[in-house]
Amino acid sequence: MTAEGFKLFPALLLLAVLGILILTGLASRTSKGEYYLGSARSVGRMGIGAAIASNWMSAASFLGIAGVFYLKGYFALAYVIGWTGGYVLLLILLAGQIRRFGKYTAPEFVDARYESPVARVLSAVIAILISLIYCVAQYKGIGLVFSWMFGLDYTPALFFGSAVVISYLVLSGTLGLSKNQQLQYALLILCFIVPLMAIARKLGYFWLIPQLGYGVALRDLTSVAGGSGYGAPFAFATPFQWIALCFTLMVGTAGLPHVLARFYTAPNIRDARWSVVWGLFFIGLLYWSAPAYGTFAKLREFQGGIPSDPAAARAVADLIVIKAGEWAGIPLWLTGVIAVGAIIAAFSTVSGLLVTGASAFSYDIYYRLINPRASERKRMAVAKGATLVLALLVVIGAINPPGLIAEITALAFALAGNTLFPVFLLGIWWDRTNKYGAVAGMALGLCITFASLLFGGIFPWLHAVVPPTSSALVGAPLVIGMMIVVSLLTPPPPEKIRRFLSEEVHAP
Amino acid sequence: MAQPQEAPGPAPRDTGVNFFRPRPGFMRKKVMYTWLLLLSWAIFTFGFQFVLALQDEGSGGLLTETVILGFPFHYWFTGQFLIVWFILLCFLFNTFVDRLTKIYQKRK
Repeated sequence: MTAEGFKLFPALLLLAVLGILILTGLASRTSKGEYYLGSARSVGRMGIGAAIASNWMSAASFLGIAGVFYLKGYFALAYVIGWTGGYVLLLILLAGQIRRFGKYTAPEFVDARYESPVARVLSAVIAILISLIYCVAQYKGIGLVFSWMFGLDYTPALFFGSAVVISYLVLSGTLGLSKNQQLQYALLILCFIVPLMAIARKLGYFWLIPQLGYGVALRDLTSVAGGSGYGAPFAFATPFQWIALCFTLMVGTAGLPHVLARFYTAPNIRDARWSVVWGLFFIGLLYWSAPAYGTFAKLREFQGGIPSDPAAARAVADLIVIKAGEWAGIPLWLTGVIAVGAIIAAFSTVSGLLVTGASAFSYDIYYRLINPRASERKRMAVAKGATLVLALLVVIGAINPPGLIAEITALAFALAGNTLFPVFLLGIWWDRTNKYGAVAGMALGLCITFASLLFGGIFPWLHAVVPPTSSALVGAPLVIGMMIVVSLLTPPPPEKIRRFLSEEVHAP
Repeated sequence: MAQPQEAPGPAPRDTGVNFFRPRPGFMRKKVMYTWLLLLSWAIFTFGFQFVLALQDEGSGGLLTETVILGFPFHYWFTGQFLIVWFILLCFLFNTFVDRLTKIYQKRK
């Protein structure tokens, strides 16, 4: 990635937006104090939906999907559909029951449902791994956007970006900022859609609803590209690859039930359920738009004769939403708006993930396993230390990112789909599942997820059957089968948890 | 979390939780709706891709040639309509569950 010089206006904009987020965080702290959670009722179903959506939006949605479209056309829709269809699976199969169960992070659920230290530690390790992998993708996005904005090379930009993330985390932690997720959602979606409208207008397409307007651009692209067909199905990937990826992202989403965090804290379950409809709509607004960026960028590339050999295209893919703005010739400040949106999305995702990973370590591994007599203060200290260690590991992983942002994120989802999804699904829907089944299933899921990365060199067929981004189409059913067989061969779980499932979790 | 209650003896087997053998009443009805929604979720998502792959053999079929709202039909269906469909499925699920809950909570 070559540096192009410092861009003053986008940098100032970033500073201003971070300032606004901190100030509004301070304001809502002083006015609502610790009763913030209790005020969930006042924001209503639509507000909870916006919170779910703002929680979800990350660099993968903001930068990743458009990048995949730019390279592989129709294949990118597997990401779009996987990351929206997963919510249907989560809502109709798991969310309500998990709420009644009362434990919605993986280690907590596994601990309460299976009552086994081994299963709990295994699920905590998996949760930490997922956080780490997911974070690497976010950091790649932060590094790329910072390098664009400040005219730095990728690696120094990555260090600078992570320093800013950590300071932001520490600052909001010490000030006790409460995040206004509705404001953040509004900010993010405006940052994504307004520049897209400008691009569509500049290029002469229907710009009022660019999500619909880019259809004509897509067909123009097909005629300009001369048959290489970015909109054509399966031009860049086989139907098996498409379906495997899509399915993996869906079960991965359902295996990360805390993406619906507000679903479980909303006071009324009926409001919680209906808020998912809003949440999905708000997420859809972004996902209807993301391929449009890829389309416009590719179209400009063909029209303007901007050279693109495959390696250069791959290098630029994850910045394509910004490049689309530059190539279409919209003003720099509007391009800066996209960049700021991407950074805000990555920041909030990173802070959530690091906190999840660190608390899994400090509570589920350190407190429950290593030092059960640790005081509250000691555990807090361990959690803070773990956050820093995780952040450091992520930076190391992001120096040489192993793939596109969307691909790295997909690996995290594959891991969740192969391990946590079966554990939740069977744990909720089959009372005979026991701890032996859960442990065997999670172990097998771990092996399947990383099989092609570790042993793909020796057994090339692994790349075709369980590719790193899409292993759950084959993996999840295998793991579920394994859990059923092992559970049937070993003693049933205690009667009280089975009664709890049938009398509480599945009650009307 | 509500604490699991102390069980006096083994629960009778008809109170068991099994997705493929839901017990009669609320749970069976809910599972029936879940099956219906899961089916329409799978058919629209994966079934459509499957049909698309079959017709793709003969390059340029009805699904890819038809234009709707400016898009080739298959692209519009996957990239835009499916998300609308997912929202609709969630809407239907909520309506079903609201109705079921109303019926069964009255009986209690």
